[in-house]
Amino acid sequence: MTFKDLREFLAILEEEGQLIRIEDEVMPEPDLSAIGRAAPDMENGPGVFINKVKGYKYSVVLNVHGSWQNHALMLGLPKETSVKEQFFALDKAWSAYPIKPVWVENAPVKEVKITGGINLFEVLPLFRVNKYDGGFYISKALIVSQDPDDPDNFEKQNAGTYRLQVKGKDLLGILPLPFHDIAIHLKKAEERNQPLPIAICLGNDPVLNFMSSTPIEYFQSEYDFAGAIKGEPIELTKSEVGNLDIPARSEIVLEGYIIPKERKIEGPFGEFPGSYSGARLMPEVRIHTITHRINPIFENLYLGIPWTEIDYLMALNTCIPLYRQLKRDFPEVVAVNAIYTHGMGVIVSTKSRLGGYGKAVAMRLLSTPHGMPYSKIVIIVDEFVDPFNLQQVMWALTTRVRVDKDVVTIPYCPGMPLDPSSEPAGMHTKLIIDATTPVAPDHCRETELIEIPEKTDFWMNYLKNLRQRKGGTNDAMSQM
Amino acid sequence: MMLCPRCDSKTVELMTKAPVDDAWEVYLCNTCCFSWRSTEGDEIKDPEKYDKRFKINPAEVS
Repeated sequence: MTFKDLREFLAILEEEGQLIRIEDEVMPEPDLSAIGRAAPDMENGPGVFINKVKGYKYSVVLNVHGSWQNHALMLGLPKETSVKEQFFALDKAWSAYPIKPVWVENAPVKEVKITGGINLFEVLPLFRVNKYDGGFYISKALIVSQDPDDPDNFEKQNAGTYRLQVKGKDLLGILPLPFHDIAIHLKKAEERNQPLPIAICLGNDPVLNFMSSTPIEYFQSEYDFAGAIKGEPIELTKSEVGNLDIPARSEIVLEGYIIPKERKIEGPFGEFPGSYSGARLMPEVRIHTITHRINPIFENLYLGIPWTEIDYLMALNTCIPLYRQLKRDFPEVVAVNAIYTHGMGVIVSTKSRLGGYGKAVAMRLLSTPHGMPYSKIVIIVDEFVDPFNLQQVMWALTTRVRVDKDVVTIPYCPGMPLDPSSEPAGMHTKLIIDATTPVAPDHCRETELIEIPEKTDFWMNYLKNLRQRKGGTNDAMSQM
Repeated sequence: MMLCPRCDSKTVELMTKAPVDDAWEVYLCNTCCFSWRSTEGDEIKDPEKYDKRFKINPAEVS
């Protein structure tokens, strides 16, 4: 890795042709959300740096994670690396966990300190992300909190991404759902009627935002995983108040606390399933301190009808934990593609050890911590089908599925409340489609796969070379 | 008197002015927590024009 923070990563994106700079002044609404919508729709979607926003002091960057090219660069891979290759590279890096962070002096995020007269608008170029959101949202924060029963336990400290609605100059609404780690911390703090200290870190090393939106286990540290992915320790420092561990090189950190046992209206917010959430009573956060770098960059996230940046941000990091949890008990599993709507749709490729194995793999997936509420549609394919290649997956569905035996629904299961088809919110019916070839004691009509012709690899390379050569058709033919 | 475009309440306050150039103001409803900027369109700022699908009766929010 050759970057240590957001600024250094933006320089890499620019060098690779994956960052566009806008120097003209833009309006907060509707320009910023329109830019956030347009960028991932472009071919090889670039990050976009907006230098000047009307009425604000500082700049904004959008769509930093919003293409497979940017995603590959974040993983330290060539930008043209395929999604499947990125999956296996990420899985390999996962094995290096944990790489412990280091704590540094003179952290850049402490260059400027504000401890009185907090006004978020002075530092953050806030804007309405989607038209009918209840307000201006901070949608790409890494939020740090500790377990009140065990505050010195580094692994139980959580760094997660939760949406934040601006409700005052120093007041935010937050959405901690019951299955999120921060909700565990909040519950314990509220049992003691104590405020829960949090640090809201903005404009981070992109690997940190990647990890803060990864469903890892409660006892695992996002920082230790970020170190593993980068192959070097993350630099941390301490928050001004509350002894929280925060990234030393973030652009901006908002320090505050969740107010215990008070709930106010939050939402709606245009959410990752491509529709608005409801408005509900949720906790609030009081900000007392801001630290930031000189001329801080505000990184925020536009999310709309998929695919937008969030679909790239929480794609492969949803796959790997599920893959690893399956692989532990089902070693025949080859790959897990859970890139659809944060794993609401999942495709698993596996070799079948015995009849019904595909269904067993699917049921295990649906009982993993993330699969339980999120995953709704699970497709299991043979080990020779690439789950990241939807044409191959459709081939498996059309030629392997015996609809009477291989399609299973399980009603009244835990569901994801933001899924508009979840009814009542938080419940849904699971669908398993087993598209694997039956093995004994199951049986089916005998079928033999068509083999790949000899010399296909040779001719694939030959044709690629031929295409790349300028006017080289005749030369190539003459070499035969 | 300014009304909240979303819940029609009268509990509207000025949340902040733009840090630069007096370019805009942001208003906040203390009843339903809705906020909006003076430079946004009437379909956001005007209680009559705010989309009915997103209107809120704060008493019904749980």
